Amino acid sequence: MYDVVVVGQGLSGMLAAIWAKEQGFSTALTATGTGKIMQSTGVMDLIPGSSGGLEDWVHFFQIDGFRKSQLSEAIDQFKALTNKLNYSYKGELDHPISIVTGSGHTKKTFLYPETISPLPDKGHVVIIGFEEIVDFQPTYVMKNLKRSCPALSVDAIKIQLGEHSQRTMSQLDAARLLDQKEIRSHCIKQIKEQMTNRNISQPNLFVFPASLGVENWKETTGQFSVELKAPVTEAPGMPPNTTAIRLNEKLKKEAVKLGVRFYADTTVVGCELEGDEVKSLKIKTSNQMTDLCGKHFILATGGILGGGLQVTSSGIKETALGLETDRTGALLHCPVNLYPVGASMGTQMTLNGITGGVFTIFSIREMIGKMDQKQMLGGIVSA
Amino acid sequence: MRNLPFFEDTFDKCLKCNACVASCPVANTTLEFGGPKHLGPELKRLMDNQTIIDDKSIEYCTLCTTCDMSCPEGVHVSTLTAYAKAIHADMSGTKFRDWVLSNAEMVGKLASSFAPITNLAMGMKPVRKVMEWVMDIPSERQFPKYRFKNFNRIYKKKEAQTERKVAYFAGCSATYNAPEVAMSFIKVMEYNGIDVVKPDQKCCGVPMFANGKMKQGLKNANDNINSFLAYTRQGYDVVLTCTSCTMAFKKEYVSYLGTEEAKELASHVYDADEYLRILKENDELNMELAPMKERAGYYAPCHMKAQGIGNPAMDILELIPGYEIQDVGAGCCGQCGTFGFKTEKYDVSMKIGRPMAEAVKEVNANYTVTECGMCKNQLDQLTDKPVKHPMQILADAYERAN
Repeated sequence: MYDVVVVGQGLSGMLAAIWAKEQGFSTALTATGTGKIMQSTGVMDLIPGSSGGLEDWVHFFQIDGFRKSQLSEAIDQFKALTNKLNYSYKGELDHPISIVTGSGHTKKTFLYPETISPLPDKGHVVIIGFEEIVDFQPTYVMKNLKRSCPALSVDAIKIQLGEHSQRTMSQLDAARLLDQKEIRSHCIKQIKEQMTNRNISQPNLFVFPASLGVENWKETTGQFSVELKAPVTEAPGMPPNTTAIRLNEKLKKEAVKLGVRFYADTTVVGCELEGDEVKSLKIKTSNQMTDLCGKHFILATGGILGGGLQVTSSGIKETALGLETDRTGALLHCPVNLYPVGASMGTQMTLNGITGGVFTIFSIREMIGKMDQKQMLGGIVSA
Repeated sequence: MRNLPFFEDTFDKCLKCNACVASCPVANTTLEFGGPKHLGPELKRLMDNQTIIDDKSIEYCTLCTTCDMSCPEGVHVSTLTAYAKAIHADMSGTKFRDWVLSNAEMVGKLASSFAPITNLAMGMKPVRKVMEWVMDIPSERQFPKYRFKNFNRIYKKKEAQTERKVAYFAGCSATYNAPEVAMSFIKVMEYNGIDVVKPDQKCCGVPMFANGKMKQGLKNANDNINSFLAYTRQGYDVVLTCTSCTMAFKKEYVSYLGTEEAKELASHVYDADEYLRILKENDELNMELAPMKERAGYYAPCHMKAQGIGNPAMDILELIPGYEIQDVGAGCCGQCGTFGFKTEKYDVSMKIGRPMAEAVKEVNANYTVTECGMCKNQLDQLTDKPVKHPMQILADAYERAN
């Protein structure tokens, strides 16, 4: 019997588990595979795929004045957590920055790790790609970027990491190689040579794939920016993006160290209801079925992309507990001790399939507040 | 081997999302390894009804099953890589060293029969140098000690009289290297009024699967299934203290064999701490545990995580008054059974293990708790903290209370 059982280990599941555990709740987390942070960019947007600001966000997610007043606290708490985990997020919700993506398009974002730097409005940018990494093509990025930002002058350089594999190397493989100083120095030497040979002037920003080191990202960004004498940034694109992998690994480690109990490789296949309360979840492991009992349940299974909701010929289905939903996937009769968060709240809360991140952080904080209130009223922490 | 019936169809759901590759401890350490996605679902799709492909880099797969845990679509990637290993062993042959390592039980029997000499010899540099030349077993790699008074010599009970009855599968490690773990488990069960029997048993097969000796492993699997089903059908529960053997009983036998018998047995199998947690939930657990003012770090073996049972060892040990235990939050240890005993894999093994050693150091507890004998071997080599099995601590807490 746990105080809190979280379903899902994406951004919402992981944050929910960490914050619930920090409040003193005994917490379990059940998940089928990694969460969708693994496929994300690792930056937090207000309304995904839109350049809307805070007022548009409030309108889109239908947040009233009182709820909105809790937003800055939620964001501060997220920043404090990432700071503690040695992977600080910066940015302000009323100050969007432009970043460049792995396809050379630009987008607005609001919260981003220190490996990301804003794209300047004008000036000179150099895109660096690696021969070994097919998912990031610097010339392609350059051409798209020139189109979206005509005021920018852009150059592209392709260099070699100097390592090969029989498997298709990903941005994460490049990041692990760039954790090593010799490989970084080898890369810097090639960049300088090409800049001299091709008469490329000193840029305002160097753009790399999302590969600037995993464990040693500070050393990596540090060495590149000092020796290349300009800021560097990661351009998140085809997953795995190391911007997101770092966040995933750090959140997971923190949750485990705090004592969150992970039920990995399990699938929730239903629940037992008693009145308007969930008593337990039916979870399936490889060849057994178990009941996972709890006092409170957090539904962090995600939306259609995350797998929490499924589009069928007869409408949208909630996949884990098998509860009835309306046409947007929102629960029709939500049990009093079940808390849908983030994208699992229904398609009204997503655009292009995702919440963007900021809403997820906000909704988890709001939900933890609700549980805290119940704790003060009735006491849900086990003796 | 190439014609072995195959019972897995979960790979159909693979979307090639790369979650398994990004999570794989080996792929994250060396580019030599093709990785779980390429050597699992992709290779399977490529080979179906076509030419069989023998990929040597499959030797790098440790069958840690992190890929299975990471897959959002529920694909049993490790079942596919286990078959790729079998194909490789079948087509390219098995090194003498790998044949020896995969026969952990035979080695255990022999080594424990001559235990004082074996242990002495394994500690001698010239002997180890010769082993490195002849067998490709790195001389720097520490080996677990073998015991002359092994578990088979000291425990033979075949029938239980109590209401709850436990059929215990000890595994090679607790039988030949750490009989104190097996004896602690029996003591803990005794304090809970439960008789433990030891049915006839063979090595669970995991070291065989890991070295591509699939047929030999499945033979052991079938023998164990038959031996233990005779007990579960009389109301016994099957309990294990080694997390890798438990994984084999719960999951691999079913995935590799696909028989009704394998499924039937799997539904009666429990990790020792998981079993005690069930007793606790049913108010049957003996709570007379003496207070212990100790601070332990917990290292979770991959095969514990993969069972999807939370963290029963910590749940149980936290019941001891005053006892403090924290998960060190580390990934794979890098020993990975026989993997870390191979010269050409040794550097990778050490590299995977280093973050674990750092995590243990960071928590800086009195000692480390883990269930897996092979993880213990790596912890012994890479950290300066003693390593204990949860059953040893629990037996101690019961003893001191009485």
